Amino acid sequence: MLEVANLRKVYGPDPHAAPAVADLTFTVADREFVCILGSSGCGKTTMLRCLSGLIPSTSGHISLRGKPVTGPPDDMAFVFQDYSRSLLPWMTVRRNVAFPLRYKGVDRREAEALTDEALDAVGLAGRGDRYPWQLSGGMQQRVAIARALAYRPSILLMDEPFASVDAQTRSGLEDLLLGVWERYGITVLFVTHDIDEAVYLADRVLVLRPPANVGHEVTVNLPRGRDQVETKAHPEFGRLRGELFAALDGGPVAA
Amino acid sequence: MSLEGVQTVGSARRRTARTADGLPEGRVRRALGSRRIRDLGLKVTGVLTVLVALELCARLGVLSRDWFPPMTDTYVELAKLAFGHPLWTEIGRTLSGWALGIGLAALLAIPIGVLLGSNRTAYRLSRVVIEFCRPVPSVALIPLAVLVYGVGLEMKVFLIVFVTFWPILLQVIYGVQDVDPLVYDTARSYGLPPRARFFRITLPSAAPYIATGLRIASAIALVLAVTAELVVGAPGLGQSIVVAQSNANLPRMYALIIVTGLVGWALNTAFQAIERRLLRWHPSQRAEVAS
Repeated sequence: MLEVANLRKVYGPDPHAAPAVADLTFTVADREFVCILGSSGCGKTTMLRCLSGLIPSTSGHISLRGKPVTGPPDDMAFVFQDYSRSLLPWMTVRRNVAFPLRYKGVDRREAEALTDEALDAVGLAGRGDRYPWQLSGGMQQRVAIARALAYRPSILLMDEPFASVDAQTRSGLEDLLLGVWERYGITVLFVTHDIDEAVYLADRVLVLRPPANVGHEVTVNLPRGRDQVETKAHPEFGRLRGELFAALDGGPVAA
Repeated sequence: MSLEGVQTVGSARRRTARTADGLPEGRVRRALGSRRIRDLGLKVTGVLTVLVALELCARLGVLSRDWFPPMTDTYVELAKLAFGHPLWTEIGRTLSGWALGIGLAALLAIPIGVLLGSNRTAYRLSRVVIEFCRPVPSVALIPLAVLVYGVGLEMKVFLIVFVTFWPILLQVIYGVQDVDPLVYDTARSYGLPPRARFFRITLPSAAPYIATGLRIASAIALVLAVTAELVVGAPGLGQSIVVAQSNANLPRMYALIIVTGLVGWALNTAFQAIERRLLRWHPSQRAEVAS
């Protein structure tokens, strides 16, 4: 379980300067799929960087499975929006997926097996020997997801991972993600600015208002085994989407 | 130089466009192959034209025989030299200065560059010193080098190290500073320890810059080696050129000048080939382009 309590982040030396994240409190249960919805500039990225232990928070408390987060935790994986920059161009797809495992203490044979399995899970079993830049954008993001899966995290943080692929590829990636989420039994915290995407994927959607705090929360009661056509035609989908739209729009306007 | 660049971009674009059209790859490759042969043909024709023109100028007396022998004489001399030991010894002498110099310069410049590139304060502290030392004309140091090291190999090495250190250093600094912060974030989020971050992330990221620095340094180092040999009389190709000139053996002098040119060309080609191999992942070297 991920617990965030009274998280506050101020950049720079002055603790009274305008915060990027202020008084943010929420929890994510094990195996839950939570989407964080916020317009650009509301502090989503800062929040994720604090949660992942990449930058220290100014005050407040973050804990993952009871352990306070002070640096990047062992059982957390991060998928960035910009796949072309987060994959290493000098490594093949296989090596990109496998290299973090060595530093986690996984032995070579097991690393190979985890890599094969992860590449298979994202449908890239035959592409291991290619280089990331020889693949399309959607495939590159699948490599990044495979790398996260092979790491066997208990929680996956995703920072607008599908924001820079085309709509067709995007719905494919959404379904792929739901598939591996169920198969691997992991917790996902997914940041997006797209209302439809949030409702389609999540168990719960938290609306973030600047400076990042939870302004509104909805539970998505749509049945699982979601389908791009059926789920999106569900009356509940339309209702949730309207509610979230109002919540996003109705927040205090940022300066 | 710029024209050449434009051409390469143009031909790369045409190449992708063709493959995207769905033409069989084989046909594209064959078309490329025939173009390569035509390009080669044009290059050879160009060189031959110049050689024939020079030959005619010498034979018809347009260029004085006192200082310009016919090209055929030069080439006969070149062939004679190629089968004699002294030439290869001289090349070896010049190249050993080159290799030791550039090797030592790289050995010094790479760690220092990594340090200065990854530490802002250190970089600011050293900038003025670098900017001051870098533009000192290399030849101005020859008297000092002779004073300290005499006229042998050490003098050449000192000169080369001092001058090529700067371009390598600057390229390493830029390369280290240019590592994508997102790549660092990725590495940190996957718990890579600092040592691994350096060897797996920083060095490969900076490698294209380092390679460029070494290639620039290689050209400068050869010029310096030959200059030192010419001016000071340190043994090597440069000295042989002076000796041939003072013995009035003009074909030999020209033959040696050609050899010097060939050595430079060979070094540059070798560097490019190594770069192409080691950095095939880098955008500047990629043969394939993702759609």
